[in-house]
Amino acid sequence: MNRRPRIVQSAILAVFAVYALAPIYLVVLASMRSEADLFSGPLALPWPLDPTNFLRVWIEGGFSGFFVNSLIISSSVTVIILLTAPLAGFAFAKIRFAWREPLFALFLAGMVVPAPSVIVALYGNLQAFGLIDRQIGVILPQAAILMPFSVFMMRTVMQDIPDELIEASVMDGANPFLSFLAVAVPIARPGLMSLALIVFLFSWQEYLLPLVVLQTDALKPLTVGAANLQGRYGIDYGGIAAAGLIAFAPLVVLFLFMQRSFVRGLSAGAVK
Amino acid sequence: MFTTRVAYLFLLPALLLYGAFVLVPVGQVVAFSFFAWDNGVATGFAGLDNFVRLAGDDVFWAALGHNVIWVVLTLVFPLTAGLVLAAILAERSARTIRWLGAIYFIPRTIPLVVAGIIWGWIYNPIFGLLNYALEAVGLGGLAGAWLADQDSALISLNVVGAWTFFGFCVVIYLAAIQSIDPSLYEAADIDGAKWRHKFRHITVPLLRGTTLFLGLYASIEAMRFFDLVWVTTQGGPGYATEVLTTHVYKTFFLVGDFGYAAALSVVLLAIVLTISALAFSLLRAR
Repeated sequence: MNRRPRIVQSAILAVFAVYALAPIYLVVLASMRSEADLFSGPLALPWPLDPTNFLRVWIEGGFSGFFVNSLIISSSVTVIILLTAPLAGFAFAKIRFAWREPLFALFLAGMVVPAPSVIVALYGNLQAFGLIDRQIGVILPQAAILMPFSVFMMRTVMQDIPDELIEASVMDGANPFLSFLAVAVPIARPGLMSLALIVFLFSWQEYLLPLVVLQTDALKPLTVGAANLQGRYGIDYGGIAAAGLIAFAPLVVLFLFMQRSFVRGLSAGAVK
Repeated sequence: MFTTRVAYLFLLPALLLYGAFVLVPVGQVVAFSFFAWDNGVATGFAGLDNFVRLAGDDVFWAALGHNVIWVVLTLVFPLTAGLVLAAILAERSARTIRWLGAIYFIPRTIPLVVAGIIWGWIYNPIFGLLNYALEAVGLGGLAGAWLADQDSALISLNVVGAWTFFGFCVVIYLAAIQSIDPSLYEAADIDGAKWRHKFRHITVPLLRGTTLFLGLYASIEAMRFFDLVWVTTQGGPGYATEVLTTHVYKTFFLVGDFGYAAALSVVLLAIVLTISALAFSLLRAR
Protein backbone atom coordinates (compact mmCIF):
# COMPACT_ATOMS: atom_id res chain seq x y z
CA MET A 1 0.00 0.00 0.00
CA ASN A 2 1.33 3.47 -0.70
CA ARG A 3 2.07 5.86 2.10
CA ARG A 4 -0.70 8.45 2.00
CA PRO A 5 -3.73 6.28 2.69
CA ARG A 6 -1.82 4.62 5.51
CA ILE A 7 -1.29 7.96 7.25
CA VAL A 8 -4.96 8.86 6.83
CA GLN A 9 -5.91 5.46 8.22
CA SER A 10 -3.62 5.86 11.20
CA ALA A 11 -5.20 9.25 11.87
CA ILE A 12 -8.66 7.64 11.88
CA LEU A 13 -7.46 4.99 14.33
CA ALA A 14 -6.01 7.71 16.56
CA VAL A 15 -9.10 9.94 16.51
CA PHE A 16 -11.28 7.08 17.72
CA ALA A 17 -8.76 6.14 20.38
CA VAL A 18 -9.10 9.70 21.71
CA TYR A 19 -12.90 9.47 21.53
CA ALA A 20 -12.76 6.27 23.58
CA LEU A 21 -10.26 7.41 26.19
CA ALA A 22 -10.78 11.17 26.62
CA PRO A 23 -13.85 10.94 28.88
CA ILE A 24 -12.11 8.38 31.08
CA TYR A 25 -8.96 10.48 31.24
CA LEU A 26 -11.05 13.49 32.31
CA VAL A 27 -12.73 11.54 35.08
CA VAL A 28 -9.38 10.36 36.40
CA LEU A 29 -8.06 13.94 36.39
CA ALA A 30 -11.15 15.38 38.07
CA SER A 31 -11.20 12.69 40.74
CA MET A 32 -7.70 13.59 41.93
CA ARG A 33 -8.02 17.35 41.76
CA SER A 34 -8.16 19.28 45.02
CA GLU A 35 -10.67 22.06 45.51
CA ALA A 36 -7.93 24.68 45.52
CA ASP A 37 -6.78 23.44 42.13
CA LEU A 38 -10.31 23.55 40.69
CA PHE A 39 -9.85 26.70 38.67
CA SER A 40 -6.74 25.79 36.72
CA GLY A 41 -9.02 24.36 34.03
CA PRO A 42 -10.29 20.82 33.49
CA LEU A 43 -7.38 19.75 31.30
CA ALA A 44 -4.55 20.88 33.58
CA LEU A 45 -2.83 18.06 35.41
CA PRO A 46 -4.07 18.05 38.99
CA TRP A 47 -1.30 18.91 41.40
CA PRO A 48 -0.83 18.08 44.18
CA LEU A 49 -2.67 14.77 43.69
CA ASP A 50 -5.48 14.78 46.17
CA PRO A 51 -7.14 11.61 47.54
CA THR A 52 -9.80 13.59 49.47
CA ASN A 53 -12.49 12.97 46.85
CA PHE A 54 -12.02 9.22 47.09
CA LEU A 55 -11.91 9.24 50.88
CA ARG A 56 -15.03 11.41 51.04
CA VAL A 57 -17.22 9.22 48.82
CA TRP A 58 -15.71 5.97 50.12
CA ILE A 59 -16.29 6.74 53.78
CA GLU A 60 -18.93 9.47 54.09
CA GLY A 61 -20.65 8.77 50.77
CA GLY A 62 -21.12 5.11 51.65
CA PHE A 63 -19.32 3.81 48.56
CA SER A 64 -17.43 1.17 50.51
CA GLY A 65 -20.84 -0.35 51.23
CA PHE A 66 -22.09 0.06 47.65
CA PHE A 67 -18.92 -1.62 46.46
CA VAL A 68 -19.44 -4.63 48.71
CA ASN A 69 -23.10 -4.82 47.64
CA SER A 70 -22.12 -4.82 43.95
CA LEU A 71 -19.66 -7.61 44.71
CA ILE A 72 -22.29 -9.65 46.57
CA ILE A 73 -24.99 -9.21 43.93
CA SER A 74 -22.76 -9.80 40.90
CA SER A 75 -20.95 -12.79 42.42
CA SER A 76 -24.24 -14.41 43.43
CA VAL A 77 -25.71 -13.92 39.96
CA THR A 78 -22.55 -15.38 38.42
CA VAL A 79 -22.61 -18.44 40.68
CA ILE A 80 -26.32 -19.09 39.99
CA ILE A 81 -25.73 -18.84 36.25
CA LEU A 82 -22.70 -21.16 36.41
CA LEU A 83 -24.76 -23.75 38.31
CA THR A 84 -27.68 -23.73 35.86
CA ALA A 85 -26.79 -22.53 32.33
CA PRO A 86 -24.04 -25.10 31.51
CA LEU A 87 -26.40 -27.99 32.32
CA ALA A 88 -29.12 -26.52 30.12
CA GLY A 89 -26.63 -25.75 27.34
CA PHE A 90 -25.39 -29.33 27.51
CA ALA A 91 -28.92 -30.70 27.23
CA PHE A 92 -29.66 -28.52 24.18
CA ALA A 93 -26.34 -29.37 22.51
CA LYS A 94 -25.94 -33.06 23.26
CA ILE A 95 -29.27 -34.69 24.07
CA ARG A 96 -32.05 -35.40 21.60
CA PHE A 97 -35.48 -35.00 23.16
CA ALA A 98 -39.02 -34.05 22.27
CA TRP A 99 -39.67 -30.30 22.48
CA ARG A 100 -35.97 -29.49 22.14
CA GLU A 101 -36.41 -26.93 19.36
CA PRO A 102 -39.48 -25.15 20.81
CA LEU A 103 -37.89 -24.98 24.25
CA PHE A 104 -34.69 -23.58 22.80
CA ALA A 105 -36.71 -21.01 20.85
CA LEU A 106 -38.38 -20.04 24.13
CA PHE A 107 -34.96 -19.29 25.61
CA LEU A 108 -33.82 -17.47 22.45
CA ALA A 109 -36.85 -15.17 22.59
CA GLY A 110 -35.87 -14.17 26.11
CA MET A 111 -32.65 -12.63 24.81
CA VAL A 112 -34.54 -9.62 23.47
CA VAL A 113 -37.13 -9.10 26.21
CA PRO A 114 -36.84 -5.54 27.59
CA ALA A 115 -36.41 -5.49 31.37
CA PRO A 116 -38.82 -2.53 31.90
CA SER A 117 -41.64 -4.58 30.30
CA VAL A 118 -41.02 -7.48 32.66
CA ILE A 119 -40.87 -5.21 35.69
CA VAL A 120 -44.48 -4.07 35.28
CA ALA A 121 -45.56 -7.52 36.55
CA LEU A 122 -42.36 -8.63 38.28
CA TYR A 123 -42.53 -5.78 40.79
CA GLY A 124 -45.90 -6.94 42.15
CA ASN A 125 -44.72 -10.55 42.27
CA LEU A 126 -41.61 -9.62 44.24
CA GLN A 127 -43.82 -7.64 46.60
CA ALA A 128 -46.16 -10.60 47.05
CA PHE A 129 -43.23 -12.89 47.92
CA GLY A 130 -41.64 -10.36 50.28
CA LEU A 131 -38.57 -9.94 48.09
CA ILE A 132 -38.73 -6.15 47.76
CA ASP A 133 -35.86 -4.35 49.47
CA ARG A 134 -33.83 -7.56 49.71
CA GLN A 135 -30.78 -8.33 47.61
CA ILE A 136 -32.13 -11.76 46.72
CA GLY A 137 -34.98 -9.88 45.00
CA VAL A 138 -32.39 -8.39 42.65
CA ILE A 139 -30.18 -11.47 42.32
CA LEU A 140 -32.82 -14.00 41.21
CA PRO A 141 -34.50 -11.84 38.52
CA GLN A 142 -31.12 -10.69 37.25
CA ALA A 143 -29.92 -14.27 36.85
CA ALA A 144 -33.21 -15.08 35.11
CA ILE A 145 -32.84 -12.15 32.69
CA LEU A 146 -29.26 -13.19 31.86
CA MET A 147 -30.27 -16.85 31.51
CA PRO A 148 -31.24 -16.86 27.80
CA PHE A 149 -27.92 -15.40 26.71
CA SER A 150 -26.04 -17.77 29.01
CA VAL A 151 -27.89 -20.88 27.82
CA PHE A 152 -27.38 -19.84 24.20
CA MET A 153 -23.66 -19.32 24.76
CA MET A 154 -23.29 -22.61 26.66
CA ARG A 155 -25.05 -24.52 23.89
CA THR A 156 -22.48 -23.15 21.42
CA VAL A 157 -19.65 -24.14 23.75
CA MET A 158 -21.01 -27.64 24.46
CA GLN A 159 -21.55 -28.36 20.77
CA ASP A 160 -17.77 -28.44 20.34
CA ILE A 161 -17.35 -31.34 22.76
CA PRO A 162 -16.69 -34.58 20.84
CA ASP A 163 -19.57 -37.07 21.16
CA GLU A 164 -17.10 -39.97 21.41
CA LEU A 165 -15.76 -38.71 24.74
CA ILE A 166 -19.24 -38.53 26.23
CA GLU A 167 -20.16 -41.94 24.83
CA ALA A 168 -16.99 -43.44 26.28
CA SER A 169 -17.76 -42.15 29.75
CA VAL A 170 -21.34 -43.43 29.53
CA MET A 171 -20.02 -46.86 28.47
CA ASP A 172 -17.80 -46.83 31.54
CA GLY A 173 -20.99 -46.68 33.55
CA ALA A 174 -20.87 -43.07 34.68
CA ASN A 175 -24.28 -41.60 35.38
CA PRO A 176 -25.29 -38.66 33.17
CA PHE A 177 -24.49 -36.00 35.74
CA LEU A 178 -21.05 -37.48 36.45
CA SER A 179 -20.17 -37.68 32.79
CA PHE A 180 -21.27 -34.05 32.43
CA LEU A 181 -18.96 -33.10 35.31
CA ALA A 182 -16.05 -35.30 34.33
CA VAL A 183 -16.09 -34.88 30.56
CA ALA A 184 -17.99 -31.76 29.51
CA VAL A 185 -17.00 -29.31 32.23
CA PRO A 186 -13.20 -29.69 31.91
CA ILE A 187 -13.34 -29.26 28.12
CA ALA A 188 -15.73 -26.32 28.40
CA ARG A 189 -13.63 -24.54 31.01
CA PRO A 190 -12.52 -21.62 28.78
CA GLY A 191 -16.14 -21.12 27.78
CA LEU A 192 -17.24 -21.23 31.41
CA MET A 193 -14.62 -18.60 32.23
CA SER A 194 -15.93 -16.32 29.47
CA LEU A 195 -19.48 -16.82 30.65
CA ALA A 196 -18.58 -16.00 34.24
CA LEU A 197 -16.79 -12.79 33.21
CA ILE A 198 -19.59 -11.55 30.98
CA VAL A 199 -22.34 -12.34 33.46
CA PHE A 200 -20.38 -10.60 36.19
CA LEU A 201 -19.90 -7.55 33.94
CA PHE A 202 -23.56 -7.33 32.92
CA SER A 203 -24.73 -7.81 36.47
CA TRP A 204 -22.36 -5.12 37.78
CA GLN A 205 -23.64 -2.72 35.12
CA GLU A 206 -27.32 -3.33 35.94
CA TYR A 207 -29.25 -0.32 37.15
CA LEU A 208 -33.02 -0.67 36.71
CA LEU A 209 -33.64 -3.74 38.88
CA PRO A 210 -31.70 -2.58 41.95
CA LEU A 211 -33.18 0.90 41.47
CA VAL A 212 -36.75 -0.31 41.84
CA VAL A 213 -36.24 -3.28 44.19
CA LEU A 214 -33.86 -1.85 46.81
CA GLN A 215 -34.93 1.05 49.02
CA THR A 216 -32.49 0.81 51.92
CA ASP A 217 -29.20 2.59 51.15
CA ALA A 218 -27.20 -0.12 52.89
CA LEU A 219 -28.31 -2.68 50.27
CA LYS A 220 -27.73 -0.71 47.07
CA PRO A 221 -25.01 -1.43 44.48
CA LEU A 222 -22.58 1.08 42.94
CA THR A 223 -24.68 1.99 39.90
CA VAL A 224 -27.59 3.16 42.05
CA GLY A 225 -25.24 4.83 44.53
CA ALA A 226 -23.47 6.79 41.81
CA ALA A 227 -26.74 7.92 40.23
CA ASN A 228 -28.05 9.08 43.62
CA LEU A 229 -24.86 10.99 44.35
CA GLN A 230 -25.28 12.87 41.09
CA GLY A 231 -28.78 13.91 42.08
CA ARG A 232 -27.92 14.91 45.63
CA TYR A 233 -24.74 16.92 45.26
CA GLY A 234 -25.12 18.12 41.70
CA ILE A 235 -22.00 20.24 41.75
CA ASP A 236 -19.53 18.04 43.63
CA TYR A 237 -17.64 17.11 40.49
CA GLY A 238 -14.62 15.74 42.31
CA GLY A 239 -16.85 13.44 44.33
CA ILE A 240 -18.89 12.34 41.34
CA ALA A 241 -15.73 11.63 39.35
CA ALA A 242 -14.28 9.58 42.20
CA ALA A 243 -17.56 7.69 42.59
CA GLY A 244 -17.72 6.98 38.85
CA LEU A 245 -14.17 5.70 38.91
CA ILE A 246 -14.90 3.39 41.84
CA ALA A 247 -17.92 2.07 39.92
CA PHE A 248 -16.14 1.25 36.67
CA ALA A 249 -12.45 0.74 37.48
CA PRO A 250 -12.89 -2.90 38.62
CA LEU A 251 -14.59 -3.74 35.32
CA VAL A 252 -11.91 -2.05 33.21
CA VAL A 253 -9.14 -3.83 35.12
CA LEU A 254 -10.96 -7.17 34.85
CA PHE A 255 -11.41 -6.65 31.12
CA LEU A 256 -7.79 -5.65 30.48
CA PHE A 257 -6.51 -8.74 32.29
CA MET A 258 -8.99 -11.16 30.76
CA GLN A 259 -9.40 -9.58 27.33
CA ARG A 260 -9.23 -12.83 25.41
CA SER A 261 -11.87 -14.53 27.53
CA PHE A 262 -14.19 -11.55 27.21
CA VAL A 263 -13.91 -11.31 23.47
CA ARG A 264 -14.42 -15.05 23.02
CA GLY A 265 -17.62 -14.86 25.02
CA LEU A 266 -19.02 -11.79 23.35
CA SER A 267 -18.38 -13.05 19.86
CA ALA A 268 -19.86 -16.48 20.61
CA GLY A 269 -22.51 -17.01 18.00
CA ALA A 270 -21.82 -13.70 16.28
CA VAL A 271 -19.09 -14.88 13.95
CA LYS A 272 -20.52 -18.23 12.96
CA MET B 1 -27.02 -41.62 24.64
CA PHE B 2 -29.12 -39.94 27.33
CA THR B 3 -32.82 -40.21 27.96
CA THR B 4 -35.38 -37.46 27.62
CA ARG B 5 -35.75 -37.53 31.39
CA VAL B 6 -32.08 -36.60 31.81
CA ALA B 7 -32.51 -33.74 29.36
CA TYR B 8 -35.43 -32.31 31.32
CA LEU B 9 -33.59 -32.72 34.61
CA PHE B 10 -30.63 -30.81 33.18
CA LEU B 11 -32.94 -28.09 31.87
CA LEU B 12 -35.05 -27.81 34.98
CA PRO B 13 -33.03 -25.36 37.14
CA ALA B 14 -32.50 -22.90 34.28
CA LEU B 15 -36.08 -23.21 33.12
CA LEU B 16 -37.53 -22.74 36.61
CA LEU B 17 -35.59 -19.53 37.18
CA TYR B 18 -36.26 -18.18 33.71
CA GLY B 19 -39.91 -19.18 33.93
CA ALA B 20 -40.55 -17.67 37.36
CA PHE B 21 -38.86 -14.32 36.78
CA VAL B 22 -39.23 -13.72 33.04
CA LEU B 23 -41.79 -15.95 31.29
CA VAL B 24 -44.53 -15.74 33.92
CA PRO B 25 -44.22 -11.95 34.32
CA VAL B 26 -44.34 -11.52 30.54
CA GLY B 27 -47.55 -13.57 30.48
CA GLN B 28 -48.95 -11.47 33.32
CA VAL B 29 -48.09 -8.23 31.52
CA VAL B 30 -50.00 -9.42 28.47
CA ALA B 31 -52.96 -10.27 30.71
CA PHE B 32 -52.73 -6.95 32.61
CA SER B 33 -53.03 -5.03 29.36
CA PHE B 34 -56.61 -6.23 28.86
CA PHE B 35 -57.87 -4.93 32.21
CA ALA B 36 -58.72 -1.56 33.70
CA TRP B 37 -56.76 -0.78 36.86
CA ASP B 38 -57.19 1.50 39.80
CA ASN B 39 -54.38 1.87 42.34
CA GLY B 40 -52.87 -1.49 41.51
CA VAL B 41 -56.19 -3.35 41.61
CA ALA B 42 -57.86 -4.68 38.47
CA THR B 43 -61.36 -3.19 38.31
CA GLY B 44 -62.69 -5.01 35.26
CA PHE B 45 -62.06 -6.40 31.82
CA ALA B 46 -61.27 -3.58 29.43
CA GLY B 47 -60.86 -5.43 26.15
CA LEU B 48 -58.65 -3.42 23.85
CA ASP B 49 -59.29 -0.07 25.59
CA ASN B 50 -55.68 0.31 26.74
CA PHE B 51 -54.45 -0.28 23.21
CA VAL B 52 -56.97 2.14 21.70
CA ARG B 53 -55.56 4.83 24.01
CA LEU B 54 -52.16 4.43 22.34
CA ALA B 55 -53.45 6.05 19.16
CA GLY B 56 -54.16 9.36 20.91
CA ASP B 57 -51.09 9.36 23.17
CA ASP B 58 -48.65 11.93 21.75
CA VAL B 59 -45.94 10.95 24.20
CA PHE B 60 -46.10 7.35 22.99
CA TRP B 61 -45.66 8.40 19.36
CA ALA B 62 -42.87 10.82 20.25
CA ALA B 63 -41.12 8.08 22.24
CA LEU B 64 -41.52 5.54 19.44
CA GLY B 65 -40.10 8.12 17.00
CA HIS B 66 -37.09 8.66 19.25
CA ASN B 67 -36.45 4.92 19.43
CA VAL B 68 -36.58 4.70 15.64
CA ILE B 69 -34.20 7.66 15.31
CA TRP B 70 -31.92 5.92 17.81
CA VAL B 71 -31.95 2.72 15.72
CA VAL B 72 -31.05 4.63 12.56
CA LEU B 73 -28.31 6.70 14.23
CA THR B 74 -26.79 3.54 15.75
CA LEU B 75 -26.80 1.73 12.43
CA VAL B 76 -25.23 4.72 10.69
CA PHE B 77 -22.53 5.74 13.15
CA PRO B 78 -21.09 3.08 15.48
CA LEU B 79 -21.69 0.20 13.09
CA THR B 80 -20.02 1.95 10.16
CA ALA B 81 -17.21 3.23 12.34
CA GLY B 82 -16.70 -0.26 13.72
CA LEU B 83 -16.51 -1.80 10.26
CA VAL B 84 -14.03 0.76 8.91
CA LEU B 85 -11.86 0.68 12.03
CA ALA B 86 -11.81 -3.13 12.03
CA ALA B 87 -10.87 -3.23 8.33
CA ILE B 88 -8.00 -0.80 8.91
CA LEU B 89 -6.89 -2.49 12.09
CA ALA B 90 -6.87 -5.98 10.58
CA GLU B 91 -3.82 -5.07 8.45
CA ARG B 92 -1.76 -3.86 11.40
CA SER B 93 0.57 -5.80 13.70
CA ALA B 94 -0.83 -8.18 16.31
CA ARG B 95 0.27 -5.80 19.05
CA THR B 96 -1.53 -2.81 17.55
CA ILE B 97 -4.65 -4.92 17.12
CA ARG B 98 -4.57 -6.03 20.72
CA TRP B 99 -3.97 -2.57 22.15
CA LEU B 100 -6.35 -0.55 20.01
CA GLY B 101 -9.00 -3.28 20.22
CA ALA B 102 -8.80 -3.04 24.01
CA ILE B 103 -8.88 0.78 24.02
CA TYR B 104 -11.94 0.95 21.77
CA PHE B 105 -13.69 -1.64 23.89
CA ILE B 106 -13.08 -0.05 27.30
CA PRO B 107 -16.17 2.22 27.18
CA ARG B 108 -18.33 -0.90 26.75
CA THR B 109 -17.21 -2.12 30.18
CA ILE B 110 -18.41 1.08 31.86
CA PRO B 111 -21.96 0.86 33.23
CA LEU B 112 -24.32 3.00 31.13
CA VAL B 113 -25.35 4.83 34.27
CA VAL B 114 -21.78 5.92 34.89
CA ALA B 115 -21.29 6.75 31.21
CA GLY B 116 -24.37 8.97 31.48
CA ILE B 117 -22.99 10.71 34.56
CA ILE B 118 -19.57 11.31 32.95
CA TRP B 119 -21.03 12.68 29.74
CA GLY B 120 -23.69 14.68 31.53
CA TRP B 121 -20.81 16.47 33.15
CA ILE B 122 -18.93 16.94 29.85
CA TYR B 123 -22.13 18.41 28.35
CA ASN B 124 -22.83 20.71 31.32
CA PRO B 125 -23.47 24.18 29.82
CA ILE B 126 -21.60 26.04 32.59
CA PHE B 127 -18.81 23.79 33.91
CA GLY B 128 -18.78 21.31 31.06
CA LEU B 129 -15.71 20.40 29.14
CA LEU B 130 -17.29 20.45 25.69
CA ASN B 131 -18.16 24.14 25.82
CA TYR B 132 -14.81 24.87 27.48
CA ALA B 133 -12.99 23.11 24.62
CA LEU B 134 -15.05 24.88 21.98
CA GLU B 135 -14.25 28.28 23.55
CA ALA B 136 -10.58 27.33 23.77
CA VAL B 137 -10.31 26.69 20.03
CA GLY B 138 -12.30 29.81 19.16
CA LEU B 139 -15.56 28.04 18.34
CA GLY B 140 -17.42 29.45 21.35
CA GLY B 141 -20.32 30.29 19.06
CA LEU B 142 -21.08 26.57 18.77
CA ALA B 143 -21.29 26.12 22.53
CA GLY B 144 -24.71 25.01 23.67
CA ALA B 145 -26.78 23.59 26.47
CA TRP B 146 -26.58 20.12 24.82
CA LEU B 147 -28.74 17.86 27.01
CA ALA B 148 -30.87 20.78 28.23
CA ASP B 149 -31.77 21.90 24.72
CA GLN B 150 -34.71 20.20 22.98
CA ASP B 151 -32.98 20.32 19.61
CA SER B 152 -29.70 18.75 20.64
CA ALA B 153 -30.62 16.50 23.59
CA LEU B 154 -31.38 13.28 21.71
CA ILE B 155 -28.40 13.47 19.37
CA SER B 156 -26.07 14.41 22.25
CA LEU B 157 -27.25 11.34 24.14
CA ASN B 158 -26.73 9.20 21.07
CA VAL B 159 -23.07 10.24 20.98
CA VAL B 160 -22.80 8.69 24.46
CA GLY B 161 -24.56 5.53 23.31
CA ALA B 162 -22.22 5.30 20.33
CA TRP B 163 -19.25 5.82 22.64
CA THR B 164 -20.14 2.68 24.58
CA PHE B 165 -21.00 0.63 21.48
CA PHE B 166 -18.55 1.24 18.62
CA GLY B 167 -15.73 -0.72 20.28
CA PHE B 168 -18.00 -3.74 20.55
CA CYS B 169 -18.59 -3.49 16.79
CA VAL B 170 -14.84 -3.24 16.14
CA VAL B 171 -14.14 -6.38 18.17
CA ILE B 172 -16.90 -8.42 16.52
CA TYR B 173 -15.99 -7.26 13.00
CA LEU B 174 -12.29 -7.93 13.66
CA ALA B 175 -12.98 -11.52 14.65
CA ALA B 176 -15.02 -11.95 11.46
CA ILE B 177 -12.40 -10.33 9.19
CA GLN B 178 -9.71 -12.54 10.63
CA SER B 179 -11.71 -15.57 9.53
CA ILE B 180 -11.82 -14.39 5.89
CA ASP B 181 -9.53 -16.41 3.61
CA PRO B 182 -6.36 -14.26 3.21
CA SER B 183 -5.80 -15.54 -0.33
CA LEU B 184 -8.73 -13.36 -1.45
CA TYR B 185 -6.83 -10.24 -0.40
CA GLU B 186 -3.57 -11.58 -1.85
CA ALA B 187 -5.22 -12.17 -5.22
CA ALA B 188 -6.63 -8.64 -5.14
CA ASP B 189 -3.19 -7.26 -4.30
CA ILE B 190 -1.68 -9.04 -7.29
CA ASP B 191 -4.33 -7.44 -9.48
CA GLY B 192 -3.29 -4.07 -8.03
CA ALA B 193 -6.56 -3.37 -6.24
CA LYS B 194 -6.67 -0.28 -4.02
CA TRP B 195 -7.61 -0.49 -0.32
CA ARG B 196 -11.07 0.91 -0.83
CA HIS B 197 -11.76 -1.59 -3.61
CA LYS B 198 -10.78 -4.50 -1.42
CA PHE B 199 -12.92 -3.03 1.35
CA ARG B 200 -15.95 -2.68 -0.90
CA HIS B 201 -15.68 -5.87 -2.89
CA ILE B 202 -14.24 -8.35 -0.39
CA THR B 203 -14.63 -7.18 3.21
CA VAL B 204 -18.13 -5.68 3.12
CA PRO B 205 -19.87 -8.47 1.17
CA LEU B 206 -18.23 -11.27 3.17
CA LEU B 207 -19.18 -9.65 6.46
CA ARG B 208 -22.86 -9.38 5.61
CA GLY B 209 -23.78 -12.00 8.23
CA THR B 210 -21.86 -10.15 10.94
CA THR B 211 -23.44 -6.85 9.89
CA LEU B 212 -26.85 -8.46 10.14
CA PHE B 213 -26.06 -9.76 13.62
CA LEU B 214 -24.75 -6.40 14.83
CA GLY B 215 -27.67 -4.62 13.18
CA LEU B 216 -30.08 -6.87 15.06
CA TYR B 217 -28.20 -6.39 18.32
CA ALA B 218 -28.07 -2.61 17.87
CA SER B 219 -31.76 -2.36 16.94
CA ILE B 220 -32.89 -4.39 19.96
CA GLU B 221 -30.73 -2.34 22.30
CA ALA B 222 -32.00 0.87 20.69
CA MET B 223 -35.59 -0.19 21.30
CA ARG B 224 -35.09 -1.17 24.93
CA PHE B 225 -32.37 1.09 26.38
CA PHE B 226 -33.26 2.87 29.59
CA ASP B 227 -30.33 3.58 31.96
CA LEU B 228 -28.66 6.21 29.82
CA VAL B 229 -31.80 8.34 29.44
CA TRP B 230 -32.99 7.86 32.99
CA VAL B 231 -29.75 8.99 34.60
CA THR B 232 -29.28 12.03 32.33
CA THR B 233 -32.53 13.61 31.12
CA GLN B 234 -35.34 11.33 32.38
CA GLY B 235 -36.96 11.86 29.00
CA GLY B 236 -36.74 15.66 29.02
CA PRO B 237 -36.44 18.50 28.33
CA GLY B 238 -40.17 18.28 27.67
CA TYR B 239 -40.47 14.95 25.89
CA ALA B 240 -37.37 15.50 23.72
CA THR B 241 -35.63 12.31 24.84
CA GLU B 242 -38.63 10.26 25.93
CA VAL B 243 -38.30 6.63 24.79
CA LEU B 244 -40.65 3.66 25.17
CA THR B 245 -38.95 2.30 28.28
CA THR B 246 -39.04 5.64 30.12
CA HIS B 247 -42.69 6.02 29.14
CA VAL B 248 -43.41 2.56 30.58
CA TYR B 249 -41.48 3.36 33.75
CA LYS B 250 -43.26 6.67 34.34
CA THR B 251 -46.69 5.24 33.52
CA PHE B 252 -46.12 2.37 35.95
CA PHE B 253 -44.19 3.88 38.86
CA LEU B 254 -45.22 7.54 38.75
CA VAL B 255 -48.76 7.46 37.33
CA GLY B 256 -49.57 3.99 38.67
CA ASP B 257 -51.63 3.08 35.60
CA PHE B 258 -50.86 -0.66 35.44
CA GLY B 259 -53.10 -1.44 32.47
CA TYR B 260 -51.68 1.24 30.23
CA ALA B 261 -48.09 0.53 31.30
CA ALA B 262 -48.76 -3.12 30.42
CA ALA B 263 -50.18 -2.17 27.02
CA LEU B 264 -47.08 -0.08 26.31
CA SER B 265 -44.91 -3.02 27.38
CA VAL B 266 -46.79 -5.40 25.10
CA VAL B 267 -46.22 -3.06 22.15
CA LEU B 268 -42.53 -2.84 23.00
CA LEU B 269 -42.31 -6.64 23.28
CA ALA B 270 -44.12 -7.10 19.98
CA ILE B 271 -41.68 -4.72 18.26
CA VAL B 272 -38.50 -6.40 19.53
CA LEU B 273 -39.84 -9.90 18.85
CA THR B 274 -40.84 -8.90 15.30
CA ILE B 275 -37.44 -7.36 14.61
CA SER B 276 -35.68 -10.49 15.87
CA ALA B 277 -37.94 -12.87 13.98
CA LEU B 278 -37.26 -10.91 10.78
CA ALA B 279 -33.51 -10.82 11.31
CA PHE B 280 -33.50 -14.48 12.32
CA SER B 281 -35.23 -15.57 9.12
CA LEU B 282 -32.79 -13.42 7.11
CA LEU B 283 -29.86 -15.12 8.87
CA ARG B 284 -31.42 -18.55 8.28
CA ALA B 285 -31.98 -17.80 4.60
CA ARG B 286 -28.29 -17.21 4.01
